[in-house]
Amino acid sequence: CPNGASCRVSLRELFDRAIIVSHYIHSLSSEMFQEFDAQYSQGPGFFTQAISMCHTASISTPAGKEQAQQIHQKDFVILVIHLLRSWTEPLNHLITETSRLPKDPHALRAKAVEIQQQNQRLLEGLDKIGKLVDPEITDNGDYAVWLGLPALQSNDVESLLFAFHNMFRCLRRDTHKVDNYLKFLKCQIAYDGSC
Amino acid sequence: LFLNIRLLNGASPPGKPVIVKCRSPEKETFTCWWKPGSNGGLPTNYTLTYYKEGENIIYECPDYTTGGPNSCFFSRKYTTIWTIYVMRVNATNKMGNTASDVRFVDVTYIVEPNAPQNVTLEIKKSQDREAYLWIKWLAPTLVDTRSGWLILQYEIRLKPEKATEWETHYAGHQTNFKILNLSPGQKYFVQVRCKPDHGFWSQWSQEKSIKIPGDANMNVTVWIF
Repeated sequence: CPNGASCRVSLRELFDRAIIVSHYIHSLSSEMFQEFDAQYSQGPGFFTQAISMCHTASISTPAGKEQAQQIHQKDFVILVIHLLRSWTEPLNHLITETSRLPKDPHALRAKAVEIQQQNQRLLEGLDKIGKLVDPEITDNGDYAVWLGLPALQSNDVESLLFAFHNMFRCLRRDTHKVDNYLKFLKCQIAYDGSC
Repeated sequence: LFLNIRLLNGASPPGKPVIVKCRSPEKETFTCWWKPGSNGGLPTNYTLTYYKEGENIIYECPDYTTGGPNSCFFSRKYTTIWTIYVMRVNATNKMGNTASDVRFVDVTYIVEPNAPQNVTLEIKKSQDREAYLWIKWLAPTLVDTRSGWLILQYEIRLKPEKATEWETHYAGHQTNFKILNLSPGQKYFVQVRCKPDHGFWSQWSQEKSIKIPGDANMNVTVWIF
C-alpha cells in the first residue's frame, strides 16, 4: 500500500466485514450451546441448577438501546474489544479441556477452535475500526480475569458438566452482545445514527 | 390412599398456574403470559414475582394490565437484556396459595417481532415492457430499525387464488421485492413476515391480493432465435 489514502478501507466496509464475522461467531456459539445441552443434559431443568455469574460480568455493558446510545463511540469500540479479548484465554482452556468430557466431544471442540480463530480475526478488524474512529484511541489491553480452570478440570462429572454449560452459556451471551453492539455501532458511526 | 382437600362447600386452594410464554417484540420491552389453574371455586388473585441474575431482591410484576389478562408487561425501565430473570406466578385464594414452576427468561432469546405492515402490491412494467409484481412493506411499528439495535430480515410468500401451496422467497434486509413471470389474468395472494438476525419469525402479515392484468400487451414479447 504505497500511498495510504488510496487503499484505506472505509469504515462502512470495515464494519460490514466485522459484522459478518461477529454474526458467524454468535451463530456458532449458539449452536455449540444447544448441542452441548442436548448431548449432556440429564433431564429437564438439569442445567438450571448450574447457573453462575459469567467472568465478564465485571465489564459493565449497556443492557438496552437507551443505555447504548449514551456511550461515547470510542469507549464503545474499546468496550467491545475488552469483551472479546476476555475470551481468548478461557477459549484456549475450553478447547484443551473438552477432552475430559464423556461421550464424543469432537464436534464441540471443532466449533470452539473455529470460534477462537474467528475471534482473533474480529479483534484485528476492531483494531482497524478503532484507529479510524479515533487515531488517538488508547486501549490499555484490559480483559476480565477468568478463574474457571479448576472447574473445567473437576473430577466430578456433574460439576464438570455444569462448568462447561456455564462457559457455553456465557460465550453465547457475550458473542451476542458483541454482534448486537457492532451492528448498532455501524449505524451510529458509519451512518450517523440512521441506517 | 386418596386425600381430598376439598371442604364441604367445595372450595379448595387454586390449581397450579403455568407460565406459557414470554416474548419481546423489539428487544426493548417484553411480556410474559400465564395460564391459571382451577380457581378452586373462589376468587383468586395472581401475582408474578421475579428476581434477576446476580441480585438478591425479589420484585413484583410492574404492570399487569398492558399485556391483557394473565400477563405481566416489562417496560423499557424494567427490561435488562443479557440478564436472566427468574420468575414465578403465585395464585392465592382464601383456602391457600399455589405457585407455578420457575421460569428462566433472558430477553435476548425471546425476540419475536410483530408482522410487517403496510404491504402494498403494484403491477409495474420494466423497460422491455415485461410486467412484474412490485411488493413493498414497512417494518413493524414497534421496531426501531434505524438505530441498528434490531435488524430484520424478511420473507414473502405468494400463491394464485386457487393454489394450495405457497411459493416463498427470501428478501434479505430489503423492504421490497420484485416478482416476474406471473400468469396473466390470475389473482395472487401475498404475505410478508420478518425475523430479527437472531430470533424468531413473526406471524405472516394479513393477506393482500392483486389481479395480474390479462391483456395481450403484457406477454407479447416472444424471442425467436
